[in-house]
Amino acid sequence: MRKKIRFQNTKAETAVYFCASLTGLLLIWYLAVRYTNLNKVMPSPFEVFAFVGSSFVKNIGSRILPFHILASLKRVFVGYFLACIIGIPLGIIMGCSRTGKAVIKPIFELLRPIPGLAWIPLAILWFGIGESSKYFIICVSAIVSIILNSYSGASQVDPILTGAAKMLGARPIQIFFYITLPSSVPQIFAGLQVGLSSSWMAVIAAEMIRASEGAGWIITTGMESGNTVQILSGMISIGLVGLLLASLLRLMERGLCAWNIQGK
Amino acid sequence: MEHSGKIKKDAMILCDHVSKSFVNGNETAEVLKDITLSVEENEFVVILGPGQCGKTTLVNILAGLERASGGEVTVNGKKVTDPEPERGVVYQKTALFPWLTVEGNVGFGPKMAGVPKKERKERTKHYIELVGLSGFEKSYPIKLSGGMRQRVGIARAYCNNPSVLLMDEPFGHLDAQTRYLMQEEVERIWSQDKRTVIFVTNNIEEAVYLADRIVLLSNCPTTVRNEFKIDLQRPRDNMSSEFLRLREEIGRHVEMTR
Repeated sequence: MRKKIRFQNTKAETAVYFCASLTGLLLIWYLAVRYTNLNKVMPSPFEVFAFVGSSFVKNIGSRILPFHILASLKRVFVGYFLACIIGIPLGIIMGCSRTGKAVIKPIFELLRPIPGLAWIPLAILWFGIGESSKYFIICVSAIVSIILNSYSGASQVDPILTGAAKMLGARPIQIFFYITLPSSVPQIFAGLQVGLSSSWMAVIAAEMIRASEGAGWIITTGMESGNTVQILSGMISIGLVGLLLASLLRLMERGLCAWNIQGK
Repeated sequence: MEHSGKIKKDAMILCDHVSKSFVNGNETAEVLKDITLSVEENEFVVILGPGQCGKTTLVNILAGLERASGGEVTVNGKKVTDPEPERGVVYQKTALFPWLTVEGNVGFGPKMAGVPKKERKERTKHYIELVGLSGFEKSYPIKLSGGMRQRVGIARAYCNNPSVLLMDEPFGHLDAQTRYLMQEEVERIWSQDKRTVIFVTNNIEEAVYLADRIVLLSNCPTTVRNEFKIDLQRPRDNMSSEFLRLREEIGRHVEMTR
């Protein structure tokens, strides 16, 4: 009973600090713009929020803000989904099979330090400036951490657990499905988490190069027309959507890895 | 009471001149040296040995998880080469599957063997009851205490219906109070559902409390030092004069193995 009350307290405390720190940031922003020369290059937070609000009904370019964000999200989901269905199996193969590791790991280690954005020129030459090149850039940006974490998850299965499963009569294929896979789920999720934020960053970069809609496009056109309000509105929407995506994934993880969370 | 390790060739488990060395670079570490022992069906044999003397290696060889460097182990006349569900293991660090509930852990073996769901459920329920964990079927291991986890480990081994149970210092990590309780529990469970048990420990009192026969091992390289038959009435009273006398006598032999 006592423990539960304490837990609620910490939760409430966190919420209070969360609000306080955001309000503080906005306040400093407001005061700086109001009383210093910063107002020559920065709009006040009210202007930005007013712009964000009005863009729910008024078009930026050819569409309203929610549709811009949906356009970016669609690209992220296609690219990220590709990264998941390629990356998770590759990582697991690397973690489980010595041959798989010997074949895939050298290539992976060579490609790994190349940032996703360095693929942009090749992507444009291969796929043109349409949607496919964006999917490709998002996919290569997200895939590295997905492969890496799936690999370490699958390769760090406790040998005592594998031994215990063997003693209980599990065959190799059963050990894979009933021991290796579930035991790597938390690690795989860590990779999915990082991969998702990488792909959200990549979509913005991809849209800044060539696009006619999307959150990245809002920022670039804002720059071209010298509209700081629009730039900041784009940036804030990106931040909020990124936060939302990460929280959604965390909720999913909590559901799938309940066994891994102490005291829940 | 003390008798030299005479082997019966028709015993259920036969550990025949087993040795094990680990090679590390140029160094060879001899861990097990010429271990010979036999275990009868439904006998409770406690292997008593000091500290880090390769007891776990011996269990792993008996289980089939490791190969002996020399000699062989046979169970019911069949040579042990690989892990097989006829031998169940209860581990020192429980080795429960953390992503499965108590029910899932206990029912793991039958599930692997393809036992139909209904029968599996009944068997799981029976063994969870036997170890006294009814009401915790849906709990994850992370929420259980050390003693409860060991109960799950025991139920999991039993539920797979092995003819041999290997227990590798199962209570090594428990506090003294829980340890006494678990010793009584193991005695009760074994009396209700007899199996051939090889129980490894470094605790003399635990050995005298549980064993039909104690096999005393020497320190590294490990070999069989002595055997003691314990003929006390079960359940045993660890304060009775006979118990204390045996404990002291075996204690003297343990001293000599150091």
